[in-house]
Amino acid sequence: MGLTFLNGAFLVAALVALVPVVIHLISRRRVETVDFSSLRFLKELERKRIRRVRLRQILLLIVRSLILLSVALALARPTIRGPLAGAAGARARTSMAIVLDESASMGRSLEGVPLFDEAARICRGVAGLLDEGDQAFLVTASDPPRDVLPEGTFSRDALVEAVTGLGVTSSATDYAGAVAEAARLLDGARNLNRELYVIGDLQRTGWGVGGAGAAAPSTEEPPGAGGTGEPVRGYVVPVSGPTGNLGVASVEAGRKYGGTPGLFSITAEVRNRGARRVDVPVKLFVDGVQVGQAGAVLEPGGAAVATLATTVDETRWHSGWVELPPDALEIDNRRHFVIPPATRTEVLVVRAAGDEPRDDAYYVSRALDPSGTGERFSPVQIDAVSLGSQEDGRFPVAVLGDVGRLDSSGENWIVRHVEGGGGLLLVFGSRTDLRYWNADLLPRLVGTRLKTTLDRPSGARLAPVGLGHPLLDGLVFGERLIDDVTVRRGFEIETGVDGARAPEDILEIPGVGPMLVLGRTERSGEVGVILTGIDPAWSDLPQSGFLVPLIHRLVAHLEGARARGEGALVGQDLVVPLDGGAVGRVDVELPGGGTAIAELGAGGGRASIDAAETPGVYRFLVDGREAALGVVNVDPRESDLAALDPDDLGERVPGVAFRTLDASGSLEGEIVEARRGRELWRVLVYIALVLIAMEMLLARPRGA
Amino acid sequence: MPDESYRRFLDPTVVSKLATMELRARLVVEGFVTGLHRSPYKGFSVEFAEHRQYMPGDPLKHIDWKVYGKTDRFYVKEYEEETNLRGHVLLDASASMGYASEGISKFEYGRYLAAAIIYLMLKQQDSVGLLVFDEVIREFIPPRSNPRQLHILLSELERAEPAAETEIGVVLHELARRVRRRGLVLLISDLLDDPENVLPGLKHFRHLKHEVIVFHVLDPREARFGFDTDATFRDMETGELMTTEPFSIRGDYVEAVERWMNLLRRECAESRIDYMPVLTSTPYDRALFSYLEKRKRLG
Repeated sequence: MGLTFLNGAFLVAALVALVPVVIHLISRRRVETVDFSSLRFLKELERKRIRRVRLRQILLLIVRSLILLSVALALARPTIRGPLAGAAGARARTSMAIVLDESASMGRSLEGVPLFDEAARICRGVAGLLDEGDQAFLVTASDPPRDVLPEGTFSRDALVEAVTGLGVTSSATDYAGAVAEAARLLDGARNLNRELYVIGDLQRTGWGVGGAGAAAPSTEEPPGAGGTGEPVRGYVVPVSGPTGNLGVASVEAGRKYGGTPGLFSITAEVRNRGARRVDVPVKLFVDGVQVGQAGAVLEPGGAAVATLATTVDETRWHSGWVELPPDALEIDNRRHFVIPPATRTEVLVVRAAGDEPRDDAYYVSRALDPSGTGERFSPVQIDAVSLGSQEDGRFPVAVLGDVGRLDSSGENWIVRHVEGGGGLLLVFGSRTDLRYWNADLLPRLVGTRLKTTLDRPSGARLAPVGLGHPLLDGLVFGERLIDDVTVRRGFEIETGVDGARAPEDILEIPGVGPMLVLGRTERSGEVGVILTGIDPAWSDLPQSGFLVPLIHRLVAHLEGARARGEGALVGQDLVVPLDGGAVGRVDVELPGGGTAIAELGAGGGRASIDAAETPGVYRFLVDGREAALGVVNVDPRESDLAALDPDDLGERVPGVAFRTLDASGSLEGEIVEARRGRELWRVLVYIALVLIAMEMLLARPRGA
Repeated sequence: MPDESYRRFLDPTVVSKLATMELRARLVVEGFVTGLHRSPYKGFSVEFAEHRQYMPGDPLKHIDWKVYGKTDRFYVKEYEEETNLRGHVLLDASASMGYASEGISKFEYGRYLAAAIIYLMLKQQDSVGLLVFDEVIREFIPPRSNPRQLHILLSELERAEPAAETEIGVVLHELARRVRRRGLVLLISDLLDDPENVLPGLKHFRHLKHEVIVFHVLDPREARFGFDTDATFRDMETGELMTTEPFSIRGDYVEAVERWMNLLRRECAESRIDYMPVLTSTPYDRALFSYLEKRKRLG
């Protein structure tokens, strides 16, 4: 037999039973002293009557406290279950919120049955318990969580239909967010009895557990803490599947410079989430055709990087994927990438005011277009003062050649340009107003500040540590550049600034400091900073054979950042630059068939698809012409199939006492048993009425 | 003064606002006498000494020569037969008599009543004395009927204040021993003493052939215990404290008071003592009428 309280919050109200005692004590303290002619008769009564009065007072106190206690307990709706409850128990109207996991990890199968199908079956079973007056909400544990029934439903059929309408998705998991959302819905629910169901594989990463990138716990406030503050009964139904899994965590396509035209290096990071050491083939597909394969040996819980290469026609877009053999979870075995065309690009070169004919902007322009034909890059030179009036989205890359400072319109243009995905190359030199750049723009764009001008010893060389950078592919022989560079003066990076750059993005000169910084903030264009002026007074870059390939590759890299991108993860907005821009409608061919219409942004220079749901390659068409490709991949967090121990759920969702139900058992029985039983509130009301009658009898004035 | 105006001086509260004891006594009696003429008790009359015109045959020795000197007319000074009645007014001045729930205290009521009776008795040519007591005899003025007696007695009443405990029995026995000549004893008290002590004292007077009237003065709240909230009661005589819930014991209290009064009434009746319970809100005419009735019986 068990005793539970359907409205447990009212148990606190039981404290009101102390009110009569408190009033009694207070009134005792406040008794007035009255002069009276004689206590003769009172003394006579003392022997019998007054003692009876005291006894009656105590009895009244007890009875009044019991009345309040009975009412408070009745409101708390105590329910007994078990033999004493009898066969026909009362039913308490309930509001339930079901968190159903439809994330990608639910796509794996156990004994031929997909986990999601099993979860949906359980969910329908719970839906079957919906009775008259019961209310139900349905929230998916995908990232982001989705209210399937935002207003809730009182219909069993509607709930079953909603569950049936769901299917496994390619999304990551966010249990924490889904439970928080369910709690919010329950706070506004109609019925006081509230139940929260969590049905799914309980993937750790969805609870904010499992290392970097895992969903942060979002249930800071326990369910029931807001709104009416009613406690919630929690049920968790784990739907388990195999946890050993391989997945492609990332893929990057990088142009190989200095070799065969159109040669690209494809780097894939592969992770083993299983407990066994595996040796797997990593296959590379470009434009639907397998073009390469590499082997990867993965220790349990380990990762490996597979590097493959492909040659493509650089005049058009290409897409591809890296693929692992089938395993428990197939959706993360394939990761897509795109290779943008190397088209003729207009580069905005901004020069400082002045009449110096051969300044940094001059050398950059010459380096970009040495032959003057504009075959690959076509530099467009302007003065810094006219920067603010330039058209947004026209130039994939802008270069500022030793510009001391910008006016506010120029500053705004630069920020819009980078935030819009454009590349930016900053060349600092003698005109640079370091205080101006350090104040806001550099920390904002690159994530660092620069120190004061540094006189470097003559003959400084680029450091070997920087020579491995992809930008220098083909420009390094052994540990030497194709041509020596002597740097005379430069700037240093100030460390300790928020978002300090990773070392691989900094090319250093030994004993002197970094020469080049590459910075990139999430979902924006990339920014490069050359820390020495392209000026004979600062370095011999103008005379060096290294200048042309360095500037070419830097600009191509900064341009490629815009085009290449990492695409988007499932559930995120996919944003792509459009070759040549667009004015009218942009159609999108979706992966797996079907089309959509993209939204245009940034003056027609970009197009986007909101909350892309399907992983794969999205083909953006302007007037039937392929204007861009974009990729959407599965969130790598989803590859970690380890589950949270249901017993640890209490820590993740404070305020809810979870019971773990066996998916293979009779869930309905356990839930019904918890929900139903013999309610004792009527008995308590009768007791209260009897006590009230007693109170009236006891409190009746005697001979007044 | 119109008749009705005198009547209001039967109200204890009105009387308490008058300036002097003599005025109080006189106005109470005037009010009372006025009422008598209009009341169903018209058969009673009060005989006052007065002057009347000389009539042939009247003894010359009764002519009041002082009046003749002033008015040039013969008036005969009429004397009622000198009464044998000697009255003793016994006023309880114990601390409990100082209790007043509202209006005036029992003591004030008692002394105004005593003053009125004294005034009335002296007007009737009776001799009257006063005994003020608490646990002991505080003041004793033997009965006299001369004109100065009124002033003496009223002054004494004016001075008296309630204090100390009650020992009625002791005082009554003591007075009985002192007063050998038969007369009328008027006891004004709340009788808040053990009836075992009070009644023998009263019976002692009866044993000595005195006529006794007991004015049992109580405050309305004393009689009905009309307290609403819990209270700690402090005995005005002993200072003892007792906390109780009046609401709950009121019935028993009133019952006990009635039992006590019934005992007094019964015992007094058995001893042919007039027992007259009055509340401090009771108009004085009731008490005065009771006195007159007794006086009449005594001839």
